[in-house]
Amino acid sequence: MTEAIEVQLKKGVLGLCVLALLSKADSYAYEIASKLAKAIDMGEGTIYPLMRRMQSEGQVETYLVESQAGPPRKYYRLTEAGRSSFTAQKAEWAAFSSAVENILGAAA
Amino acid sequence: MTRAEFLTRLKRGLAGLPAGQIADIVADYEAHFNDAQEAGRSESEVAAALGDPERLAREQRAEQGVKRWEETKNPSAAAGAIFAILGLGALDIFILAPVLMGVLGTLFAFFMAAIGIFVAGGAVATVGPFAGQPGGPAVAFLLGIGLMAAATALGAVTGLLSIWLVNGLVWFGRLHYRLLKPAIETQV
Repeated sequence: MTEAIEVQLKKGVLGLCVLALLSKADSYAYEIASKLAKAIDMGEGTIYPLMRRMQSEGQVETYLVESQAGPPRKYYRLTEAGRSSFTAQKAEWAAFSSAVENILGAAA
Repeated sequence: MTRAEFLTRLKRGLAGLPAGQIADIVADYEAHFNDAQEAGRSESEVAAALGDPERLAREQRAEQGVKRWEETKNPSAAAGAIFAILGLGALDIFILAPVLMGVLGTLFAFFMAAIGIFVAGGAVATVGPFAGQPGGPAVAFLLGIGLMAAATALGAVTGLLSIWLVNGLVWFGRLHYRLLKPAIETQV
């Protein structure tokens, strides 16, 4: 049961975490994936379908950057729509988590 | 699993999608292996962390099917989206099939009824005024037009219901993407 809740929670906030990382700096998929894998224990392969969906929804866009070794690297950056979606989702998350905190605090 | 094996299985799973999309998706995973190698990780370690390539391929295909449905609302895109979602194994086909058949049959019957009423209305409107039935020609004509309008409305409502049904299935299927689950659980 706890496991299921954990999976659903992570699934829900994954998109928000990606938006947050990209709001600080443009990045490439491997970097995003390894940061999130470390921080919230997310599977690395998860990032690609997610980035593809966010791109088709117009929240992120890509550009290529030459690298010293190997082929050019695909970077992601937030679009205007992605930025405003981040602001909205961040506010929702803050409201939701403080509401849950209150309830948990009251129960303890 | 080696890098080559992972990519071969991924490509096999993606077969049938447009070549450009396959190239895009495969390039993403190739870049992933490159970056991981630079970070000093072994191929087998990376492949294990990425998860089952067949599963990844199925989810990408499902996503494409859904995208096509969102762009063009026609029966073939609907069928594509439904089969892609079913292919995920998200919906248990043995439980779902009888229900789905019933619902689809009902929708189909509504469409047929709409067409039938429309044709009948047309007949009443054209033939009625000359058949000399009680009420006079104007009543027969208006009755026919009325039937045709009702049939059009029925058809439109059925169309809307069909679109909602497919959207609902897509939403339900997306809730059940399994990629995240094993990916999170197999983290070492």
